[in-house]
Amino acid sequence: MVVTGAASAMAAKQAERLKEDGNSCFKKERFGAAIDAYTEAITLSPKVPVYWTNRALCHMKRKDWTRVEEDCRKAVQLDHNSVKAHYMLGLALLQREDYADGVKALQRALDLGRGANPTGYMVEEIWEELAKAKYMEWELASARRSWELNSLKGTCEAALNQQRALDMSQTEESSEEAYTSHTEQLKALDRVFEKAAEDDKPTEVPDYLCCNITLEIFRDPVISPSGVTYERAAILEHINKVGKFDPITREKLDPSKLVPNLAIKEAVASYLEKHVWAYKVGS
Amino acid sequence: MSSSGAPSHKALSKIACKRLQKELVEWQMNPPTGFKHKVTDNLQRWIIEVIGAPGTLYANETYQLQVDFPEHYPMESPQVIFLLPAPLHPHIYSNGHICLDILYDSWSPAMTVSSICISILSMLSSSTEKQRPTDNDRYVQNCKNGRSPKETRWWFHDDKV
Repeated sequence: MVVTGAASAMAAKQAERLKEDGNSCFKKERFGAAIDAYTEAITLSPKVPVYWTNRALCHMKRKDWTRVEEDCRKAVQLDHNSVKAHYMLGLALLQREDYADGVKALQRALDLGRGANPTGYMVEEIWEELAKAKYMEWELASARRSWELNSLKGTCEAALNQQRALDMSQTEESSEEAYTSHTEQLKALDRVFEKAAEDDKPTEVPDYLCCNITLEIFRDPVISPSGVTYERAAILEHINKVGKFDPITREKLDPSKLVPNLAIKEAVASYLEKHVWAYKVGS
Repeated sequence: MSSSGAPSHKALSKIACKRLQKELVEWQMNPPTGFKHKVTDNLQRWIIEVIGAPGTLYANETYQLQVDFPEHYPMESPQVIFLLPAPLHPHIYSNGHICLDILYDSWSPAMTVSSICISILSMLSSSTEKQRPTDNDRYVQNCKNGRSPKETRWWFHDDKV
C-alpha cells in the first residue's frame, strides 16, 4: 500500500510536469505536441479536469470539435463547476448545431463565470458567444412568427369581410351602423396583431438595464456603496486605471465594496427571455 | 493646423469601439440641443458644431469642436478642443484649448460626448465677458510644439467664471 501511494504521488508529479510541457507547446502554437503531452498526463492522472480542458483547447484550435466535446464532457464530470469546460462544450455543441444544449452549456458557463474571481474572468467572451447563438435563433424564430401572424391576420380579415358581405346581402338597406362596426372590427384586429408582434420588434433596451460605462445591457452587474450599478469588468477597470471613486457620484470606492446586484441580474434575464433581439452585440 | 494637437493615433480598442457606436446611435436619436455632429466615417474623431445659446454672449455664433478618442476610451478622457477661430472666453485659449476640469483630472467614464458638450455649452452660456484667459499668450506660446491640452498641468480657473 505504501508503495502504491508513493507511486501514485510520483505519477501525479510527473503528470504535472507533462502539463507544463503541454502548456509551453501550446504557447508556441505546437498543438499536436501539446495534445501528446496532455494525453500522457491524462494517462498518468485521469482525474485532473484541467488536463482535459487544456487538451480540449488544443482540439479547439485545430477545429476538431468532436474531440473538444469528448474532453469537455469528461472535464464536466470531474468538475461540475469548470467554466472553461462548459464554455468549450457549448461551442462544440453549437458547431454541430445542437442549438438548445449548446446554449444551455454557455448559460451555465456564464453563471459559473460571474463573480469576483479575477483570474480567468471570461464573462465577456462567453457572453458574446451566447449572444451570437441566441440572436441567430431569434432571427429564424421571429421570421417564422412574423410570417405566421401575417398569414393569420390575412385569414381573419378575409373572414370579417366575408361576414360583412353576407350581412349586407341579407339586409335590404345597407345601414351606416353596420358599416361602422365593420371598420371598427378591422381596426381592432390591426391592434391585436400589432400587439402580438411587439416583443419581436427591436427597440432600445431600457437605460436601467444598461451600464453607465459600457452603455450595454448588464452581464455581471455589481452595485457600489453609492447605490449605482455597473458592469463588473468595467468598474474594476475604472478603479484600476482612473481611480478609486464612483464614476457617477465621485464618492470613494474600494473594489472590495462592490457586491453583485442580483435583482438587476434577474431583471436582465427576464427581459432577455422576452426580448431576445436585445442579445444583439454591436450595432 | 497647429492648434489641433497631435493625439497619439492608436486605433480604438474593441471596448472603445463598441461604446462609441452606442454613443453615436444615442446621439443620432437624441442629440444635445445646440449641437450638430458632422457625420464622417471616422469613429475616432468627431467634429461637432456648436451654436451659442440664445440670450447669451454667443447667441447665433457657430463654432466647431474636435473630439479625439484615445485607444482606451472611456477609461481615458477624449481630447476636446475648439477648431479656430475659438470663441472668446475666459477659459478658452486662442489655440482652441479649453480649461475645463472634466476633460482632464475630473474625467469619469460615466461621462459621454453628449454630457461633455452640455458642460461646454453651459460654460459658454455663463460667461459675462468675451475675453481670453489672462495667461493666454504664455500658454499658447508653450503649446507651440503641438502639445495636447491633455499634457498640460491645469490649475482650474474659478468655476464661477
